[in-house]
Amino acid sequence: MDDERIEQLLRGYELPEVSRNLDHRVLREGGAILERARTRAAIEDFGRSLLQLFGFGYLTWLVDLATTTDAEYRVDFV
Amino acid sequence: MPQDAELIAGMIRGESGAFADLYQKYRARLHQYALSLIRSRMEAEDVVHDVFVGLAKQASEGRMPRELSAYLYVSVRNRCVDRMRRKPELPLDDVDLELMVAPTGDEERIAASRVLNRALLALPVEQAEVVVLRTWHDLEFSTIARMQGTSVNTALSRYQYGLAKLRKELAADGR
Repeated sequence: MDDERIEQLLRGYELPEVSRNLDHRVLREGGAILERARTRAAIEDFGRSLLQLFGFGYLTWLVDLATTTDAEYRVDFV
Repeated sequence: MPQDAELIAGMIRGESGAFADLYQKYRARLHQYALSLIRSRMEAEDVVHDVFVGLAKQASEGRMPRELSAYLYVSVRNRCVDRMRRKPELPLDDVDLELMVAPTGDEERIAASRVLNRALLALPVEQAEVVVLRTWHDLEFSTIARMQGTSVNTALSRYQYGLAKLRKELAADGR
């Protein structure tokens, strides 16, 4: 039996099953992390809108000026 | 299935559906890869769990890998190597897991899968790693070599040695 035949034989088999428990853990925890991030962003947006509405838009501008770095404005690829 | 870039963008927007799609896309391959390295079902699951939860944390902070596939494989490898350093390797007789699954009902292939599975697990970890990544995951030898921190020729040799041992095991079993 040559290498090619062995490769074909191996490729003919499926990958082992992933447990439902792992699926559940990953999707629950990962989903919750993203959900929290989305909620946090929505609350921040809402707060900013309120400040703008009541004429305190300069406050958000000042906070951004003092706290935000360039990295926060873009996706930081690692 | 959407492309990785679309899924990454979705995750950065906080979409759990994008995260679920990305997990579905890579879970089986990464799980098998972790099994081939760490040879413990429970630990392999923990590694895959930690890698994906870590990815979700990064997305929530607006950071994502540029090459997702490479990042996921290297993350799995690093975490497995870290765990392997901390615990002794299990004797083969104590290892009860499958690196591959035969289709049901086909007696001949089921029997061959037992021989091959056992032979794969008996290979040195670095040889089994190349065979798994090359055969099921279609990774280039150059990529595998980078992951293993070795040369392409060494990765190629490990692959050939691995296949030779599998061939020997099959022949010894009369196949």
